[in-house]
Amino acid sequence: MNKTLLGYVPEESPIYSVHPFVRVFFLFVVSLFPMIIVAPEWNAFLIVLVIILMRYSRINLATLKLYVPVAVSMGSLILFSYTVFAGNHPEFMELIRFLGIRIYYERIVEAIVVYFRVVPMIFITVYFLSSSRERDIIVAMRSIRLPFTITYLVAMALRSAGMVLEDFSIVRQAEKARGFDPAGKSIAYKLRQFVMYIIPLFALALRRADEFSNALVARSYSFTGLLRNPKRADYVLTHYHFRKRDFAIVAVLAFMLIALLVLRYGFGLLVLEGSLTEVLLRSILL
Amino acid sequence: MEEEKIWEVEEGEKRSVGVIHIVITALLIGIGAVVGAFGSFTLPLGFGVNFFWPAIAVQNVGSVWFGAWGVIAAALFPIISNGIAGTPVYVSLAYIPANAVQALLPALAFRLFKADPRLRKGRDYLIFLVAITLGNIFGALYSPLVVLRGFGLLTAESVPLFIWGWFGGNEVAGIIFGLILLKALSGVVMHSRAFVKKWFA
Repeated sequence: MNKTLLGYVPEESPIYSVHPFVRVFFLFVVSLFPMIIVAPEWNAFLIVLVIILMRYSRINLATLKLYVPVAVSMGSLILFSYTVFAGNHPEFMELIRFLGIRIYYERIVEAIVVYFRVVPMIFITVYFLSSSRERDIIVAMRSIRLPFTITYLVAMALRSAGMVLEDFSIVRQAEKARGFDPAGKSIAYKLRQFVMYIIPLFALALRRADEFSNALVARSYSFTGLLRNPKRADYVLTHYHFRKRDFAIVAVLAFMLIALLVLRYGFGLLVLEGSLTEVLLRSILL
Repeated sequence: MEEEKIWEVEEGEKRSVGVIHIVITALLIGIGAVVGAFGSFTLPLGFGVNFFWPAIAVQNVGSVWFGAWGVIAAALFPIISNGIAGTPVYVSLAYIPANAVQALLPALAFRLFKADPRLRKGRDYLIFLVAITLGNIFGALYSPLVVLRGFGLLTAESVPLFIWGWFGGNEVAGIIFGLILLKALSGVVMHSRAFVKKWFA
């Protein structure tokens, strides 16, 4: 199994036959799709496509359970924002009035449009984090010839996030071993507890910084500038090669982005007016 | 005054950017990403805005100790922590100016007014509190008004809720954790090779 940023994926997953740069390109390009598409049914279709991709990539769909509370709270927040904080708009169609709060049809529709724009972006981000290892992000950056210092910085940052999590676990276990039990305590108590974590985490990081830099200097690493890119052996790239399929996927994604822009802004398609969602909402709410 | 010596390069002292600064930036990003994700899952308001965000202390304190390297880390780690918490990637990228300013102002204030990171006088506390407050005000105004409204995620009427949520969530956490970190660890950091007197070294 390969350890990714959010979980584990089998080594034989088809996602690893695709160049890491293509996966990063997928994240940034496909995340734009919900921003172009307004009609909620098309964004819902995008969600379904991403779930199918996750199944095809053999990603454990249980990871999505972590984000159910996020999706629910975000939906509640959007609905709250567009109903309770809808303001006073006589030009809108008022559906009901409750305790002085006016709920408008147009605001409900806007809330649904916004929600179905945000949720696909979350799914795409989760898909990327669930399928990508730290190494993949580094390879993607090196593929586009980003300066070595920046790539190394990102690699070390991702690795240190994992180390901080381990340190956090060690500090918690040490405190439990000393009889510290936050169960059933007040929020102020738990806040104090968190303070007791953050100081050792920082202290560990400072000590580690010294050790890491000594290790790097001992191996003749030196700071050559953030943006300079002196020629050096790129061992990791020798294991990753762009194939025709990778170029094809990048071309297809780029074409889809351009096509969406043309359909939306050239032909006025993929909008709310005349969409299936609008028809359904009108029949239900009006 | 002793405070001025903290930020002045002494005679014969040579300071230059080194590997240690890259390492400390990476470690700050790691700490901030974990602490930020923890805060984002604990008391979220939505879209990367939280009622209580302890990672603001990493931004404020990291930039005071490590100058521009802390500012770089402060701008980058929320991309990771927000991504883990489910915030769309383009929203996270759009937050970069707010996070950078939240880190930049304390660093600038300490260097400009020669405040002591160990917070030995009331003046040092005041400079820290004013700097983080101004930074949080900028972040609280920029993020909902520019980012969230720009992406169409909020109505105009709900913007104040997010402004106060961002400001309150950062201010309370920044004061509590920032003061404690500065008092507890500044003495150690100032004697380390990673401590930055100017902006990069």
